[in-house]
Amino acid sequence: MNTIEMKDIHFSYTEKEEILKGINITIDERSTAIIGQNGAGKTTFVKLLKGLLRPNSGKILLNGTDIADMTVAALAKDIGLIFQNPNDQIFKNTVLSEVMFGPLQMGMSKAQAEESARKALEMVGLMNMEKINPYDLGLSDRKLVSIAAIVAMDTKVIIFDEPTIAQDYMGKERIKKIMKDLRAQGKIVISILHDMDFVAETFERAIVFAKGNVLLDGDVKTVFSQKDVLEEAYLEQPSTAKLCHELGYGEIFLTPEEFIAMKQKEA
Amino acid sequence: MKSMSLYEEKHSFLNKLSPITKMIYVVAAILIPAFAGEKMLAVGFMIFSMLLLMHSKVIRRTFPILGVSGFVVLTVLIIQGLFRAGNETVVLDMGPVAFYKEGLLFALGIAINVFNIILCFCVLVLSTKPSDMVEELVRKGFSPRIGYVFTSLFQLIPQMTDRMSTITDAQKSRGMETEGSLMIRMKAFLPLISPVIMSSFIDTKERAIALEVRGFNAKNKKTFLNESTKIPVDNVIIIILVVGIVCSIGWRIMTWLR
Ligand SMILES: Nc1ncnc2c1ncn2[C@@H]1O[C@H](COP(=O)(O)OP(=O)(O)O)[C@@H](O)[C@H]1O
Ligand SMILES: [Mg+2]
Repeated sequence: MNTIEMKDIHFSYTEKEEILKGINITIDERSTAIIGQNGAGKTTFVKLLKGLLRPNSGKILLNGTDIADMTVAALAKDIGLIFQNPNDQIFKNTVLSEVMFGPLQMGMSKAQAEESARKALEMVGLMNMEKINPYDLGLSDRKLVSIAAIVAMDTKVIIFDEPTIAQDYMGKERIKKIMKDLRAQGKIVISILHDMDFVAETFERAIVFAKGNVLLDGDVKTVFSQKDVLEEAYLEQPSTAKLCHELGYGEIFLTPEEFIAMKQKEA
Repeated sequence: MKSMSLYEEKHSFLNKLSPITKMIYVVAAILIPAFAGEKMLAVGFMIFSMLLLMHSKVIRRTFPILGVSGFVVLTVLIIQGLFRAGNETVVLDMGPVAFYKEGLLFALGIAINVFNIILCFCVLVLSTKPSDMVEELVRKGFSPRIGYVFTSLFQLIPQMTDRMSTITDAQKSRGMETEGSLMIRMKAFLPLISPVIMSSFIDTKERAIALEVRGFNAKNKKTFLNESTKIPVDNVIIIILVVGIVCSIGWRIMTWLR
């Protein structure tokens, strides 16, 4: 089983302000959503996981091995990170070569890389766009290209930074399915998100960041039950949970489906 | 917003002067010694610029610039001192080679001009916000389009370096080695530079639309966000400088006629 342990991580960009103030988290096979107000330190946290930033103090262990001695490029074999803005990573002039870039960097042969790339493109639903220039695609499809580019690298861990921004309903549903498929393949899926309904419908665990600390950490249902603590972090409950709360139910439900199922059982 | 500029607000005398005054100072510091044909005037301007920079507490920021140009000037000095055609009078004999007076004096003339120009530009650049300078020029009838190009350059370059570092991160994340031998760095260059260029194109298009929407090309007379900040001293200084320039030109014409 894959795990990432973070032990007492402190981090600051400048001497004046500490951004992460002693984070202790063990990421396990559960899909994990990271939520929190803008500026809470979420992106900083995933950059540390990825080795792009190094902690001032504390340890990060990937399956028991300290990542401090590994270069970012070496870590790329184990941890994939999809950047918030696809334009930051796309540079090839066809979708296929873009998606093959990562696998080739990891030392796969051309044939292997192509196979891996095609599989990834199929997973994100861009099978017949292989020859298109990524910049001719709309932002939402370009985002999917950037996801495929990381999926093709077949890493144990895949991290998404705010993947649902600028996505319509269809786009969100596709991303949701990609995440669930990756989870089913036994990968660790971590994502920074602002869309609470999306979190409730897709993830098993939620970690709430506030001002550089972990405010809440637990399975989604437990986390989203705590309206008061969430408000302290300027977060909302998912819509269905809000409804349950307003109706004065003791137990909350996270998705419309759960809610309806409960109602039908009652009736 | 981050901006690429050497300027720093120190609430000094130079900061308070209008950009136009400082621009005229630059012109005067270059033209007057040139027209008058007198090296001592350039030395005078050099010293005066230095005093101004010291008074504004920005003299330290000129050191790196002077250091680099000083190195270039030093090589000129050595080469001219040793090899200039017409070298006759030996000043320093060092066995196989000797330094000659003529060459050294010629190089000294160049050095004075170079340092004078650098220092007077420092007076302008280190004490003036680039956007103020451009706005002042536009006010004086300079094309707003070209003005915009200049102002945006000052913002674009730091923006691009920021993007460059994000993109480096993104490519490293995909397993690209960016550190190590020259070969590795060369190979890393293309994946790094192309997203920067691509997204600059995208940004440019959007910027153009955003400007147009706000009436950048409108034909009517425009007002300015900031008021012109001329103080009475500005006018006095401008008059002195302009008189100085006119006199030096007059002097030049007189020496020709004679
Ligand atoms: N490169 C940087 N240099 C200095 N401060 C930064 C940098 N990147 C982020 N920060 C600061 O760190 C804090 C956390 O940022 P970030 O991790 O991006 O937050 P989030 O992703 O949760 O919105 C913010 O206050 C931000 O201003
Ligand atoms: Mg962020």
